[in-house]
Amino acid sequence: MWVKLILLLLLCLMIAGAVHFAQPREVHGPTPTAHAANSIRLITWNIGYAELEDDTRAHSKDLPAVADVILREDPDAVALQELTGKDQLNTLVGLLKGKYRGAVAQQGRTDRFEAVLVKDTGATFTPVAVGSRYALAASFRTRPDTPQITLLSAHADAFNAAARRTYTENLIDWAQARMRSSEVFIAGDFNFELKAANETNLYTDNVKHDSESYSHILRSFRDLGRNAGDTAINDRRIDYVFGPPKQVGRVEVLRNAAVGRMDHWPLLVEVGL
Amino acid sequence: MLTLLKLELEKLIRAKSFYLSFAVLVGFVVLMLWGFYTYAARKTGGEAVEQFKYTYESRQYFNGLTFALYSVLFSFTLLLPIFVSMSAGSQIAGEARTGTLRMICTRPISRASLVLTKFLVTALHAGLLLTFFIGLNLVVGLIFVGWGNLELYPGPLNLVDAPGKIMRDDALMRFGYAALSGTWALLVIAALALLCSVIFDSPVQATIMTIAAYLVLYIVGRVEFFEHLRPYFFTTDMDFWRVVFKPDIPWQSLWHSACVCGAYTVGLLLTSVVIFERKDIVT
Repeated sequence: MWVKLILLLLLCLMIAGAVHFAQPREVHGPTPTAHAANSIRLITWNIGYAELEDDTRAHSKDLPAVADVILREDPDAVALQELTGKDQLNTLVGLLKGKYRGAVAQQGRTDRFEAVLVKDTGATFTPVAVGSRYALAASFRTRPDTPQITLLSAHADAFNAAARRTYTENLIDWAQARMRSSEVFIAGDFNFELKAANETNLYTDNVKHDSESYSHILRSFRDLGRNAGDTAINDRRIDYVFGPPKQVGRVEVLRNAAVGRMDHWPLLVEVGL
Repeated sequence: MLTLLKLELEKLIRAKSFYLSFAVLVGFVVLMLWGFYTYAARKTGGEAVEQFKYTYESRQYFNGLTFALYSVLFSFTLLLPIFVSMSAGSQIAGEARTGTLRMICTRPISRASLVLTKFLVTALHAGLLLTFFIGLNLVVGLIFVGWGNLELYPGPLNLVDAPGKIMRDDALMRFGYAALSGTWALLVIAALALLCSVIFDSPVQATIMTIAAYLVLYIVGRVEFFEHLRPYFFTTDMDFWRVVFKPDIPWQSLWHSACVCGAYTVGLLLTSVVIFERKDIVT
């Protein structure tokens, strides 16, 4: 009898311990706003559709909703991915009531374009050749007395981890060369799959390539949206804003922003300059 | 109780399966060493360097501690539970199969003590097995690969969110922690196998049922359809043992999962005792 009583007591003790040490569920909510006077607010958003659709690029009918989000959040610059081309960008700039200027990257081997929208009317845009793809960089200032900012809109290969790695290496090489003259931010959809628990294998080259890519970026940049949670459907955090190690203010994934069959949510990051 | 424990230990030491489990682990370490060596040679050699400009997989990264970590992490999920199931599954059902259970139960010992003793022996086996395996990996790693710090990167081992490093002496301590936390996690399997051993009269059946239950929950837990069920599987909490390898150990979450595993273990053990006390032994 005493054996059973001791076991029962132990069981109660273990359950009590489990309850005592239980952590509240992590909630990815909005974080406090940084000192707005000297900060920059950036958004990155892949506005393309999920793979279930015939055309997975951005749909023009969604652009008013995209413009609404941009006008509401009032970022200094926006990195967009998966536009169909310059026509969509012009439509979007029109919907933004002249508050933003923008450009699309050159066409690479894919049928979709990266773009950047910037509030600063003096912004300059530079296409960045990264292997067979093109990223787009915008250089601007939020105020005349603030340092020059360079924002890169990037989109790495969705299906090939080795290609993502090569892309990342070239992109970081380009960014590092500009880090002395300006504050460089890299925003976009990198498609990194870093949750090994989601893999059926214990160890795969794909996870390793993404690990190498992500770790390489973190040698020079900080992952500013790390605590914001998943940015795409199926619990994936594949959209990133990398930047200098500055004080981070508001970081939020705008989960109500997606419309139609978009599979990404915009990631908003506010950083002190 | 002590005499009983001594007798059970003697049985364990005399069993061929006891030595077989260690022999298989030695074989696994040899296989891992071969794989690690060839992988390291490939990744630090010309081809990989030509394809990619930057890598953290340098000669400094591939050291004995990294080897031991990979080997222990890879084997823990699928290899060690098999041996623990075999050991625990044969405890009561093995006696029933050989016809000695009835005789043991006629001796002036309580059935609860018998179950408890057999569980303690299984727990000792699990602890020895894991400690031996970790020790062997570290020794083999030291001799054949060399010492260094433990560098961790996000992704492959799913341990960290950002690149991190554990200094050599601290890392050795972490392997010590892993022996304790890993054994604690394996006790859930041991308790489940003991319950099966009480229910079934065949050790093979008890072992297979345990492994089947473990694998079903492990596999289902990795399928996205059942994401909402994942927190209720003991296999999810069993994974807590590996957090000791994070640069900053999340103690609260570790204690939580350790308590959940403990609750499973004690609950299953209590069930085994209750069933065994009411069991009509006819073999």
